[in-house]
Amino acid sequence: MTPELDRRRFLMLAGATAIVAACGGASTAPSAAPSASAAGTAKATGRISIYSALNESTNNQLFAAFTKATGVDVSALPLAAAGDLQTKITAEKNNPQADIFVGGSSEFHDPLGKQGLLEAYQSPLAKDVAAQFKEATGLWTGWYTGIFGFISNTSRLNADIGGKKPATWDDLLEPAWKGKLILPDPIKTGGGYIFIATQIFRFNRNETQAMDYMKKLHVNILSYGPTSPGVITSISNGEAAGAPNWSHDILTEKAKDPTRIDLTVPKDTGFEVGAVSIVKGGKNLPGAKAFVDWVLTKEAGDLNVKLSNRGSVRKDVSPAPGSPTLDQVSLVNYDRQWATDNKTRIQKLWQTTVGIQ
Amino acid sequence: MRSLRREPALLLALLAVIALVLAFIVYPQLQVVLTPGPGGYVEFLQEGTWLVPLRNSLQLTLLSTATAVLLGFIYAYAMVYSNMRWKPFFRLIGILPLLSPPFVVAAAYTLLFGARGVISYGVFGQSPNIYGLNGVWGVQTIAFFPFAYQLIADALSRSDPRMEQAARNLGAGSWRVFWSVTLPLSRPGLGAAILTTAIYILEDFGNPQLIGGVFYVLPTQAYSLISSFGEYTSAAAVSTILLLLALGLYLAKVRLDGGRSFVTISGRASSMPRPPVSPGVSRACFVACLGLAGVILLVYGSLVVSALTLRFPNNLQFTTEHFQYVLSGTNGDALRNTLIFSGVAAAVSAVFALFAGWLVQRGQWPGRRALDLLLILPAAIPGIFFGLGYLVAFNQKWLDFVDRGWLIIIAFIFWNIPVGYQAAVAGLRQIDRSIDEAATSLGASSLRGFREVVLPMLGGSLRVAFITTFVRAVTTLSLVIFLFTPPTTVATIRIYQLVGDLNWGAATAYTVSDIGMAIIALLIFAVLARGRIALGAARA
Repeated sequence: MTPELDRRRFLMLAGATAIVAACGGASTAPSAAPSASAAGTAKATGRISIYSALNESTNNQLFAAFTKATGVDVSALPLAAAGDLQTKITAEKNNPQADIFVGGSSEFHDPLGKQGLLEAYQSPLAKDVAAQFKEATGLWTGWYTGIFGFISNTSRLNADIGGKKPATWDDLLEPAWKGKLILPDPIKTGGGYIFIATQIFRFNRNETQAMDYMKKLHVNILSYGPTSPGVITSISNGEAAGAPNWSHDILTEKAKDPTRIDLTVPKDTGFEVGAVSIVKGGKNLPGAKAFVDWVLTKEAGDLNVKLSNRGSVRKDVSPAPGSPTLDQVSLVNYDRQWATDNKTRIQKLWQTTVGIQ
Repeated sequence: MRSLRREPALLLALLAVIALVLAFIVYPQLQVVLTPGPGGYVEFLQEGTWLVPLRNSLQLTLLSTATAVLLGFIYAYAMVYSNMRWKPFFRLIGILPLLSPPFVVAAAYTLLFGARGVISYGVFGQSPNIYGLNGVWGVQTIAFFPFAYQLIADALSRSDPRMEQAARNLGAGSWRVFWSVTLPLSRPGLGAAILTTAIYILEDFGNPQLIGGVFYVLPTQAYSLISSFGEYTSAAAVSTILLLLALGLYLAKVRLDGGRSFVTISGRASSMPRPPVSPGVSRACFVACLGLAGVILLVYGSLVVSALTLRFPNNLQFTTEHFQYVLSGTNGDALRNTLIFSGVAAAVSAVFALFAGWLVQRGQWPGRRALDLLLILPAAIPGIFFGLGYLVAFNQKWLDFVDRGWLIIIAFIFWNIPVGYQAAVAGLRQIDRSIDEAATSLGASSLRGFREVVLPMLGGSLRVAFITTFVRAVTTLSLVIFLFTPPTTVATIRIYQLVGDLNWGAATAYTVSDIGMAIIALLIFAVLARGRIALGAARA
């Protein structure tokens, strides 16, 4: 009848697992042994804790190069969604666990600075960074750039669209694109929202015109993708013919199979400034400053460009092969603050316009 | 159970349970609920962005719960009543959908059944648009029927065959027996199944996120606000709405239950076999289970194929590089962490849930309704907020000496209490009070009565609690996303990182390793318990 349970056996098992866990727990305890240093007091030593929104493959090599250059060890906590890290830093404000927050557009760093959770630091190397790429008091510093572009699936583009890549965002309204586009979801993804904001700036903040554009575009859209990188996979698999997305991620995907997909950057596009900031109250301020200094060097810029295909804020870092640069492409006058402040309203406006209720 | 005043040990145990619940469920969650502040709530409610997701959440929960419970009931009936073949196989299949790390499994559905899906397009030449209500409804039905199945099977297997035999002897056909005896007697289990399944579906974010398209629901809204826009405050307000909805579901269930008795196990043991169902019913059961198993195997099979090929589905050349990656360097550490954290949490959570269930169901003390609610509430808290609450509450300087692994284990224990607790309460309602009262009449303390009389009879509930806690701990991403540290990284975090890096091959290899490890662990657990703790539902 009732399947009986051998109680003693169960409790023994539970106990045994607990003991194993206790041992495991002991062995996984972080060994924060600072590396020996006989150098002067100003020299950064020990270990820093980095919260990173960069790609996994970039993290490993970038941080290894930093440790090699400075002797400071890195304990990295990688999460590709910068909003997760921003939230984590906010939630940890009573007992900060991070020294550095690196990667992710400056929109994710800026609110932390306003809440007083970041340590202002003017790196000597930051003086060469253009003013539009950094926070004036040094709360965060931009060190890389990403440009919004367009990914196309080559075979579907040739078969369905006649091989014509979009030169402007308006080209996407052509009937040939009907049901063959994917857009990163403007409610669920930062990329999708940047796309809408870009349209608004393209029409000189005339929201009616921008929404009219989004409404016409809606007809051509097969689906709204749940994550920006996921959309790249979908296009690579041929689910649709093309999609707006981040140029650097498109190039990284293209490197895996160059004939399958391609990148174009339509006229009047948007871009992001990838930032680095120091978390206030961290455990190793000299180490954190050393990281900001290092990440602004040519060496770090070159490495990041090579690993992630993003651009550098440094003029002496050459772009990745095939990668667009900010002075080549035509950009809209993207007002980050306005885009952040009006986000909820614009998202709602878009939902009503295209009839997603 | 005797009165608390006469048994100080019992009183102490009760106070300990209450203290733990307050410390690890109420206190951390208050951190989240109080975040927006009155002004924040007013502003958020006026913005009105929650209206559409709220309506969608209700609609989806209603539809998915109905189909998942129906499917779970059929599966449980087939496992407990029919004489169909391959029961051990189906038992294992019934666990698989629970072992779905977010993103990967939902993405597998789109690779199989999407616009360019291997099955939909490759085999049938169709390009269906699965994004939206219908797609997510279908996937949720398959993903959540196992909860219903486990709880219903536990209840069915405890029903007394003598009642059904009696009905037969009085001339009722098998249909009539089913409707008038089997179904009513399984009501506690059914109620528990509906409530738990509904709450889990309401809280689910992975499937709506990947397959829901623009059918936004509350959990995806909350998650997107945090991950994509760093808006923690509005997200916390969404989480509160979810809590209130779960509270509503709970009150509805209490009303429906009424105060009826569903006792099916009385003092005398029964060794009577269940009346046989007709061969036709057995065959139908077999076909239904086989069909469902087919879909499940297809999805999980595609993960194995993709883990073993260069670039699924475009390049199907065989490779072991993805598995080599999983085993290389420190990549395997996360798997070990997952195994240890989940194993400990499942064992503790199962025993704790049963003990708490016994205290609430058998006790006469005031305020037990409140404890009842608090023990079900964690199911309604999206993992991301449960984790956030823990981070805010326990990331304190004076606690820095505690290894962060313990924080994850404790979060696993309390987040997963509801299923085990529901199973225990449903089980106890079918066991006559006189049985444990007999023990105390003979002089045993209530606690001894629980240990030596009640616990052994609740083997099925204990098993349900252990298995569901274990598999949910193995597969949760959202709960640990704010709690992990580099040394306490778990498998789902690695999978999430790999998916974000578009490394689909390594992500699936990691998923397959994670699921495989969980299955092996459950099998070893079953063997060590001398085969008495079978996987899945109880034996017929």
